[in-house]
Order: sequence, then C-alpha cells, then structure tokens
Amino acid sequence: MSVDFLHPGEGPAIDTNVSALEMRGIGKRFPGVVALDNVDFTLEPGKIHALMGENGAGKSTLIKIMAGVYGKDAGTVRMRGREVDIKSPRDSLKEGIKVVFQEIALISEFTVAENIFLEGYPIGRTGSIDWKKIRADSAALFNRIGFNVDPAARTGSLPVSQQQMVEIARALAHEARVVVMDEPTSSLTPNEVALLFTVIRRLASLGIAVVYVSHKLDEVFEIADTVTVLRDGRHISTKPIGEHTNDTLIQDMIGRRIDNLFPRQRGAAGSKVALSVEKLSTAKKLIDVSFEAHAGEVLGFFGLMGAGRTELAKAIVGYDPIISGTIMVDGRRLAPHDTRTGVRLGIGLLTEDRKSEGLMGELPVYQNASLASLGGFARLGFVDKAKEHQAVQDYVDRFRIKTPSLFQQIKNLSGGNQQKVLISRWLMRGLKVIVVDEPTRGIDVGAKSEIFALIDRLAGEGLAVVMMTSEMPELLGLADRIAVMCEGRLTAVMSREEATQEKILNAAIG
Amino acid sequence: MSLASTASAKDQPSLLARLFARQELALLVCLILVLAFFSATVENFFSVRNMTNVLGQASLALTAGIGCAIVFISGEVDISIGSLLATIALPLIIIMNDTNSLLLGVSGALLFGLIIGVVNGYLVAYAGINSLIVTLGTMFIMRGGVYLYTGQRAIPDDASLDSFIALSDGRLFNIIPYSAVIAIVLLAAFGYMMQHRPFGRQIYAVGGNQEVARLAGYDVRRVKFICFIISALLATVAGIILAARVGSAQHTAGLNFEFQVVAATVLGGVSLAGGIGSLTGMALGVLILQFLSNGLRGLGLPTEWQLVITGMIIIAAVAFDEAKRRRANGG
Repeated sequence: MSVDFLHPGEGPAIDTNVSALEMRGIGKRFPGVVALDNVDFTLEPGKIHALMGENGAGKSTLIKIMAGVYGKDAGTVRMRGREVDIKSPRDSLKEGIKVVFQEIALISEFTVAENIFLEGYPIGRTGSIDWKKIRADSAALFNRIGFNVDPAARTGSLPVSQQQMVEIARALAHEARVVVMDEPTSSLTPNEVALLFTVIRRLASLGIAVVYVSHKLDEVFEIADTVTVLRDGRHISTKPIGEHTNDTLIQDMIGRRIDNLFPRQRGAAGSKVALSVEKLSTAKKLIDVSFEAHAGEVLGFFGLMGAGRTELAKAIVGYDPIISGTIMVDGRRLAPHDTRTGVRLGIGLLTEDRKSEGLMGELPVYQNASLASLGGFARLGFVDKAKEHQAVQDYVDRFRIKTPSLFQQIKNLSGGNQQKVLISRWLMRGLKVIVVDEPTRGIDVGAKSEIFALIDRLAGEGLAVVMMTSEMPELLGLADRIAVMCEGRLTAVMSREEATQEKILNAAIG
Repeated sequence: MSLASTASAKDQPSLLARLFARQELALLVCLILVLAFFSATVENFFSVRNMTNVLGQASLALTAGIGCAIVFISGEVDISIGSLLATIALPLIIIMNDTNSLLLGVSGALLFGLIIGVVNGYLVAYAGINSLIVTLGTMFIMRGGVYLYTGQRAIPDDASLDSFIALSDGRLFNIIPYSAVIAIVLLAAFGYMMQHRPFGRQIYAVGGNQEVARLAGYDVRRVKFICFIISALLATVAGIILAARVGSAQHTAGLNFEFQVVAATVLGGVSLAGGIGSLTGMALGVLILQFLSNGLRGLGLPTEWQLVITGMIIIAAVAFDEAKRRRANGG
C-alpha cells in the first residue's frame, strides 16, 4: 500500500480515509531546552502539508523524529492507523518516510545514479548489485520528472541546486508514503522551483503525503493545502491554507504582529564615496563592473542565480582574484588584492555561506566575534582576554544576541544570532564598507526583521552597506539604490524611488 | 520542462586528461615506467624468476594492504597490523608444534586475529575512540606481549610440516609463489566485494560521508566494526605466510610493516580521509614500491637510499593527487 514513483499504478491504491502519519503528544527535551512539548501533527494521504515556524520553533526536531534521527521522549506515532516505533533512520525508511534534508545528504564521490539508490541497491540473483538496473532506472526516473542530468556524473561535480534535485529524485526512487522536504528551494533557481512544485503536486496526486518545511510565505501559499505552525516547541495552529493571510501566518509564527518588516530609522544617505569599483573583471564571471557606494547608504545588488552577485562580493573584498579593474576603499586602493589588505582598509564580507566561510562552529561566541580584531586586544603580543570579553559583551548587549554566555559554541546559536555575531566581528574591526551576501538566507521571519534593523543601523552609523540579495522584498525594503546584475555585467543602477519590480526583473533578465 | 546546464561539450576534458583522471591508469603507467627503467639498467631484472620473486615478496603487503585500504576507505586507520603479524605467529607455531596440524595452527592464528579485530573494531566503532589511538595502543600491546613471551629467542617451527613450508617456497605450476596466488585470489574477491556487493558500497558511503550513510539507513558502527575484523584477519593471513618464510615466531617479525603497507596504500590513491580509492590502486602502489626497491637494490643502492627515495615518492604522489583533485573541483 504505497507508491513507487518509478512504477506508478502497479501497487494497490492508497486508502485516503486513514491518516498517512499521525503524531500525538510528541515531546522531546534536550539538556536545558524543551524542543517539543505535546505536539500533534497529522498527515493525510495526497495532501501537501506546510510546516512553519521560526528557527527554534521545533520544526527540525519534529522532522528529525519522523526520520529516526532523534528518538522521542513522549507521544505516539501511527502510520495508517498502526502504531510504529521509529528508532533509527533505517526504521523510518522502512515505513516509507523519505526526508530530504536541507543539508545535501549525498555521497559526493558516488555517481548520481548510485546516490539515487543509496538507500537500497537493486540486487541481482547472486546478491551482487545490479548496476545496469541502477543506471536504467535512474535515467527513467529523471525522464519522468523532467530532470536533465547525467546519471553517470560524479555527484560532487554538480552545482548545489542540481544536487538538491538529485536528493529529491532519490526520495522518489523507492516506495514512499510520506515525503518530507526541509527548505527545499533554498538553493534552487526559479525554473527549478517550478519543476520542484510540479513534482510535489505529482507526488500528492499519487496519494503520497508531503510535508513542506519553508520560511518562504509565497511558496507556502502556492503549494500547500494545510499549514501547521509551531512556536517555541508548541503546536500553535493547523488550518487549511485558505484560512490564512500573510499576516495571520506571520502572527502565528512569531506570536505578535510585525507591522513593518523593514523599519527604517536611518536618515538620508551621505554623498561621500566609501567604495569605488572601476571596470572590475574576473576570470570566471565579472565583466567590467563599475559602481560607487556612499557612506551611510545601503546599495542593493539584485540578480538571478548565476548573475555574479557572490562573485562580485568576494572580488571586492579581496577574497577572489581579479584580472583587471581597480577597487578603492575610502580613497585608498585595495592593493595588493587580498583580504588582509581589504580588512586593513576597512572592507569586510558577511558571507552567504555562514557554515563553511564564516563560522568556526566549535569555537565559542567570543572567539568568533573577536577573530578579525585580535590585534586590537593585544598587549605585548598576547591577547588581553578581559578586554576581548568586554568588547564582545558590548556587541552582545547592543545587538541583543541571544546566547547563554560568551563561551557557548556558536554552532548552538540560531541562524539569526550567528549572523549578528558575524556582523559584530566586522564592526569590532572598525569597517567603512560592509558587503553582505544574502544576509537572511536560512533565517526565519522574526529574526529577519532584526537583521534588517541591524543593517539599517549599520548604514545609520555611516557605513556603506553593499547588499547582495535574491529576495525582492528585502531589496526594495532596505536599499537606497538598487544595482542589477545579469551574467556578470551590471545592467542597471536606479534609486529606490524609481525602482519597480518590473524594471528590476527586466534588467536582471538582461 | 527540464533543468538546463549539464556540462556542455567544451567542459569535457580531453581523452588524455580523462584517462589520467583514472587513478589506477596513472599508477599503471608509473609501474610500467619503473619496470621499463630497471629492465634497461639492471641485468636479469626483467626475468620470470625475478618478477615472480618480487611478486612473492609483495604478497605480504598485498594481502594486508587489502585490509588497510578497506579500513582507510571506511574513514579510519589500522596501524596494528605489523604487530599482529608477529603476534599470530605464536599461536600458529605453538599449536603446530603441539599438534602437527597446519589446519589447527591456522585456525588458532585466525581466531587470535579475529579477537584482535573485534577489540580494535569495538573500541573504534562502539566505544568511539579514535582509530589511530586504538591501533597505536594495540600495536604496542601486541609487540610488547610477544617480546614478553619469547624474550630474545625465536620460537622455531619444529613441526616443519611440508604444507606449511610450501607457503614460503612452493610455486603454482612451478612459477607463481603460492603466497602470491593467495594474495591475488583475496584481492579479486575483496575487489569484487568493494565494487559490486552492497556491503562494499556501504564502506565507501560510510567513509565518504558518515552522516549521509546513517540517514540512508546504514549501520555505520557495524560497517566500521567489520572493516577492522577484515583488516585483522587479512593481516593474520599475511602473518602466517611470514611465519612460514622465517620458520619461527619472533618478536621482531613485521617490524615497521604497517608503515610499508600504509605507504603503498596511500601511494595507490586510497585517501586517509575515507571514501576514495580502490584495491586495484592499493595493489599497484604495493607493486611500484616493491619493484622500485628490488630495482634499486639491483643497481647497488644501499637500503638507506631506498628509504629516502620511497619517502620522496609518496609525498610527490600525494601532492600530485591533491593538485589534480583541486583542479577537478575547479578551485
């Protein structure tokens, strides 16, 4: 009684009268935290159920319990009316629960085809792996879902977005009753998102229960039948999507009204040029990019996937090599072209990829914050710990960074708070220009508005903020001026007043 | 509707580059170069006698190297194999001297090897202790234990069973040493397992990304546990052959053997980080080093120089590999 996406219609029809999955009174504690408290969550076959909530609301914990990654402390789980005991990922897979996690869960050295069948290799009569079937079936599967990738390619050589699609495809290769997708669109292009939605609807039409975890309201309104909101580990509401508006959904998620996501406090931007980039080109992407950023302004860069925003961000702070062009920070040339000089001149990058390029996850909050300015705390070549801690504490207070102590490992903080620590790292150093790349990626609504307020404040304090973003509301809400990129070129620069979504998109398409 | 941008034609590397991307092929070319060089410079190097002799000498490292490579691929290390070689000779020789039975001796040795594998595997996989530390520890414990038991003297093989002696100097069809035959059969069997049996792929998956393997429903601890048992049992087989060769159990047997095996395995492109490499690569690594050492001796170069050259080759090979990988990843 399940659906094999490879051979639809071969199994008996799914009984739509019994819930696919019913979780009752689920509780889970971690040392010092109640992650889930008496949570109910029920999935109906053939329905797309959005699971929403801020970071720390308990979404991840709930789906990890479904996946068998965590055990539950209380409650019961029933699959189609039968109580099940899921103790490991293996148990969960056996019950037909497929979870596509946000982090890519593929073996990068394996071929795409092998990854598709990682959870269960087709076995020939002798007990050996049937490689022919693996290749043929994955090709057939890709064909069915309209996914154009070479099954023989080494997975690690694919761009992240395609790897994510491979993972989604994998969820369909075996019999599935419940498919869970955790923020599946975070690194997909608009085309891929459209394809993903088609696939999700197809899954639902085959009777599979789909859980869709996302921060993106517009996506949820587009795809979901039902929405469950969690907050602080508690179940807040479960409603048909039709009964929700943007406002009610946000209200459920954060427990208060957000009247304005983009509270502008700062005054008008100055006219002093803080960053001037002229005819910048890189080997891989950028072609003749020229612009200026002024002290006290937020200059927003918009572009579709692959437009070159991240490349630009990395090039102007001295991180990636350039082949021609000049970069002037506060009137002084960034030469030699390296991050050391960049930081000395006062330009820093808040990276898009916090985990691998920003955070030192195992290290405590204070060391993450003070990393770029240890020289400032040094006395006779030794770091003055007291001074260092005091400086970090100042920022923790100023930015209301939620951490149990300065000594907490930063990986245990929420995404929003991690981001604040990283911003502190650069401010402590005394920057003139800060480049922020997708500052709210993987950060939920409530924390987002805090990051926005922080960016607003940075500009208010006289920094030039160069913000790379793919989110239109963020761009229009925060930027004083908007620059648009397309395939490595700058295609338009406009003031906030003259900008419209249409103008921006037109320039982004080129 | 389709997802655009699979690699376009211009991104395809040239045929030569792709051939070289196959680790094993590059190693094979190196092996051929080594053979060609010494055939031209050393008299009698390229003779059936010398070739099969070297193969026989290589069989110890080939056999134990299978286990070493498998443990590497699972993302761990096992450096206890050299001491294990010396240790299992004790039950082997003692039982054979008492019973005059090769079968009982070998069974005793394998049982002992199994116990060591279980201990290593349990401590790494279930107790969660770093495998370098665990096997460093068992390496010292076993070496010390053998010394405590034997003292300076060796325990000679008094039984002198024909079947046991054949392991050292017998040859299949009077050409290929039995020890080499054993190594080749084991290589083929385990090579097949690594590429075509689900368990072999699980080892690659665990070494490639432990968390992903766990999410895919694999029992990561069990996989690692078994890898250590495989390694210990294969080292036991190598130890039996060594004991047949030296005709005794002695505390210096297999001294530094683990490092020769590790060197050859790394040269063969098996990554210490796990998930990468093949038994074919390991075998080519063993052969390259063995023929190199044989040829250098033929040129009259002292052993000290062989060590220096081996060291340089290993670093160069791994550096080359790293550079290649970096280029492949476009960084």
